[in-house]
Amino acid sequence: MSHINLIHLLNPQHFPIFTIMLYFLGAFLIVLFGKNRILRNCIAFIATGLSLTLLILLVKPIMINGGVIAYWMGNRVPAGGYAIGIALEVDALGLFFGLLVATAVFVSCLYSFSYMSEDDNEPQYYTLFLMLAGGVMGLVFSGDLFNMFIMVEILTFAAVALTAFRNRVTGALEAAFKYLVVGCIGSTCILAGTILLYHQAHTLNLAQLGTIIAGNLDKNTIIAFALLFIGFCTKAFIVPFHPLAADAHGAAPAPVSVLISGVLTKSGIYGIIRLAYFLFQLMNLGAVQFWLVFLGSVSMFVCVTMALAQHDFKRLLAFHSISQIGYVLAAVGLSTALGASAGLYHAMNHTLFKGLLFLTAGAVLHETGTTDLGKLGGLSKKMPWTTVLFLIGAASISGIPPFNGFASKWLIYQATYEKAVETGNIGFAFVTIVALVTSTLTLASFVKVTQSVFFGQLPKECEKAKEVSFGMRFAMSILALLCILTGLLPNLVQKYLTQPAAATLFNVNKYINAMLGTGLPESGAAEFKPIGVWNPVNWLMLLMIALLAICIVAIASKYDAVRENKTEKVAAKYSLFYGGEETEFSQVGGGDLFWGFKHNWRHYFSFMHDLHSGIVNDYSLWAVVALALAMVYALIVL
Amino acid sequence: MFKKLIAESTGKSPWLFHINAGSCNGCDIELVSVLTPRYDAERLGFKLTGSPRHADIVVVTGPVTEQSLNRVLRSIEQVPDPKCIVTMGSCPQSGNVFRGSYSVAGPLSKYVHVDVDVAGCTPKPEAVIDGLYLATQILAQKRKEMKK
Amino acid sequence: MDAVLNALRYLGYVLIFPGFLFCFMTGLLLAGIDRKLVARMQKRVGPPILQPFYDFFKLCGKKTIVPAAANKTVFLLAPLLGLAALVVLQLFIPVFRIQLHLGGASRDVADVIVILYLLLIPAVSIILGGASTGSPYAGVGLSREMVTVLACELPLVLVLLGVGRYVGRDTAGGICFSLNQIVDYQMESGSLITKASLIPAAIAFLLVIPGETGNHPFDAAEAETEICEGMLAEYSGAPLGVFKLSHAIKMLTMTSLFVMLFFGGVGAGVEHLVALMGLTGGAAAAVVTILDILVMVLLCIVVTAVGISLVHAVTARLKIEQIFKYYWTVVSALALLSLVLVWYGL
Repeated sequence: MSHINLIHLLNPQHFPIFTIMLYFLGAFLIVLFGKNRILRNCIAFIATGLSLTLLILLVKPIMINGGVIAYWMGNRVPAGGYAIGIALEVDALGLFFGLLVATAVFVSCLYSFSYMSEDDNEPQYYTLFLMLAGGVMGLVFSGDLFNMFIMVEILTFAAVALTAFRNRVTGALEAAFKYLVVGCIGSTCILAGTILLYHQAHTLNLAQLGTIIAGNLDKNTIIAFALLFIGFCTKAFIVPFHPLAADAHGAAPAPVSVLISGVLTKSGIYGIIRLAYFLFQLMNLGAVQFWLVFLGSVSMFVCVTMALAQHDFKRLLAFHSISQIGYVLAAVGLSTALGASAGLYHAMNHTLFKGLLFLTAGAVLHETGTTDLGKLGGLSKKMPWTTVLFLIGAASISGIPPFNGFASKWLIYQATYEKAVETGNIGFAFVTIVALVTSTLTLASFVKVTQSVFFGQLPKECEKAKEVSFGMRFAMSILALLCILTGLLPNLVQKYLTQPAAATLFNVNKYINAMLGTGLPESGAAEFKPIGVWNPVNWLMLLMIALLAICIVAIASKYDAVRENKTEKVAAKYSLFYGGEETEFSQVGGGDLFWGFKHNWRHYFSFMHDLHSGIVNDYSLWAVVALALAMVYALIVL
Repeated sequence: MFKKLIAESTGKSPWLFHINAGSCNGCDIELVSVLTPRYDAERLGFKLTGSPRHADIVVVTGPVTEQSLNRVLRSIEQVPDPKCIVTMGSCPQSGNVFRGSYSVAGPLSKYVHVDVDVAGCTPKPEAVIDGLYLATQILAQKRKEMKK
Repeated sequence: MDAVLNALRYLGYVLIFPGFLFCFMTGLLLAGIDRKLVARMQKRVGPPILQPFYDFFKLCGKKTIVPAAANKTVFLLAPLLGLAALVVLQLFIPVFRIQLHLGGASRDVADVIVILYLLLIPAVSIILGGASTGSPYAGVGLSREMVTVLACELPLVLVLLGVGRYVGRDTAGGICFSLNQIVDYQMESGSLITKASLIPAAIAFLLVIPGETGNHPFDAAEAETEICEGMLAEYSGAPLGVFKLSHAIKMLTMTSLFVMLFFGGVGAGVEHLVALMGLTGGAAAAVVTILDILVMVLLCIVVTAVGISLVHAVTARLKIEQIFKYYWTVVSALALLSLVLVWYGL
């Protein structure tokens, strides 16, 4: 009998629940046996690694064969026309986000092993870490709205606790408190929205809600939409909730930042997609498209300018994180197949490069004890590996070809411009322009980090810095490698990951049928028609040929060899030119850069500076105002 | 062929770095006038650079005061080989009217090897161009010797 | 066998035409002509046209000093990377109808928007090289360079979107970003410079060229009199020469991009000319190819004369915040005007 059960368990049908359970079980076991370091690490490793493996195994049946897993807990299938049981439903979209989550969790877990080894309370850290992971995984796989809310609560509280984990760090408790307050407003919105929907439809199952609500909106459901939307916006830190992310990232340990930016924000985006595309099926309305695209564009632009004004490495990354989420939201909001695919692609890339960047920031913090851009400098000679990995991440996020950020941003430019041409609405063309300019602003901001952390001059305080341990470098290298691969092979990524996931957005009935067996008509395959041309592999090949040729010429012509021996006369000849003065420490720090830009935008920057007061009351007020505006807008246009 | 091209070019593209070692500014102005439309030293490839790292010819004006001595020497040291040092005006050669002053450390030839002296207070632009042209030939010669 | 042939062909493209050798000769030639023209406009005799070649080879013969504070690998590799990226970029800019077989189903490897971003790689490499020295002059220089890049980005984007929309009007997608198709379109229906709605865009692009290449008066990033050549302050010898070469090639890249975007129709004239001469078959093709290249270089020289030399001769260097303001107001407004005109069907 046990033999049969075992085989039965290997049915992919069960994999989603296993992945969720592995995280929670791991968290539970670490509470019990976490005192022993090796045992604890083993449990965390197995839980995260095995979950990732299970999800990768699901790629074939779901992504490639186009299946959908509908799983009723305890086999409580719908009866009497109502789906009351707890359901998990994994379609390509859910699996896509699940894969992102599992990858980010696995890598940051690997990183944590060496990064967190000097902290107290490690068992608690891993418990919360796995709770957070399980919460997000449960959210993306859940088939009903109430369980989504529960998972949101779990992940919010785990994230709050992790933010304040290093509570001796200045600002950690404050950041956690802010996050707690506004996060709770968000969670409450989600709960209120759920209640309203339940009152209207008497069911919480996503698929069934989809069949009931879509097409018969009344005032209650419209209010519910606004509530749920704002609730998930707080999870994704969309403007106006962006200041929370900056505080949280600034205080949280690096691997937690990876989770908050790579995983938690994704849960918000996932929620918004489910809500708008599946539950309410509103995305064919121009007003809703405008809403999402507008929010996305504002987020990408406001946050990138906020990032330019930052002088703390991690806060800067936090603002960029939201800026990139803005790209995702704007692309998904276009409601075109290409746009959805591009947005999901960018969501994936965001998890990879942002994770990488946060981990490098963690490495810098680990070695120097600070992330203040004004106090760092010249680390490239001390930490060559970290520098290279950082440069890969920075090139990716700034959209430098051939890294992955470019591949997806480029699709987003096309998708927005195509939408503009299709609808004849020049507004979407401005989104393209904002996206293109934001990308360059991102580059500027990362030039600032490069100059003030890794290049430039080494301050005395950082002289003890050395390369980080192999474990940390390994974790970062995985992400760097993925950044390069997903950038070089955009066609494969699109074909096997993002396009199947994007196709589900335009075939909602398939999701409903898989869950309820209603047999609604399904739409045909979505059409992805990019207009541009970009063959990164060919380009790289040509670049390599050129670089090789130039290097050969350079070496043959003794480009390097005419250099004199450094030991001869070190003093004057090899010191920096200071107009003849002796060398002194004068680092051009982050704050001084881009003066020419900031000067022209000084009114804008001072306005933003006044706006971001850092007071939690203000941010709560913003949340309430945003909610009110969302409700009014929804009531007017829907 | 590559070496031939380099040998060919070395004399034809002299870049100047100008150091004021306490000059009265007369020579400085005269050096700039060499690049103006009337004399146009650029037709010989001369160009003023902002950094000693780019320079081939260092032009020193002024009597080399105590204040400037170390800075002049350091800047000259930072010029990559092959390089030429040209003194302009009488001050760096002899001290001129400043000779014997407590604050003058010159002449420059006490500290580094000077290739060309352009005398005068101030030298005429024609003389400066002549001196610089001489320096370019010395430069080409130095490049040849450097290879050996 | 095919693979070997392909590899050889790629090597030919990269090394000879339109790659390294072509870029080297034409780029430095353009730089030389620019210097000569500026001198003539200022009533000077000016350096010989081959002066940039002399400069380059002289720099190769100088010793390279790597400052003790610099990161040696980045310091030496950055110039080479920038040069390689530029040379490869030049492959994607068509020369009228000359076909390059760069692999893949379509004729393009990268479209205009990608080229816009590939143009960032040389800028980033010079920034990295400068930053790696730790010199404060380089710090100030890279800040200004980045702001200049930012300044140029907005008008460039607007111009390219306008052109893409104009050319793509009759195609299925409504947009066309492929440079080859843009050139083809112009051969059939006339150069884009002759279209009223795109003239502001052409002017905007012309004004962007000196900013993008870092030429006077937009050379605040490398101002030799105030910040000691900025990012290049610590470079000497061959790496400096490579940067100077990259600068010259960037002039070629930008001017040839301008020529292909706005004067693409000239290529059709070349074909007519050859047909009038009565040549047929292989001879005609060869003559067309040679004429195409010559015409492009000629047009590049004209664009350099108007867009770079003239501007250089009549203006004084701008401050960095003025550069930014200028590009984001005047030039962007021109480009935006074009985009709006194109959008509403003019």
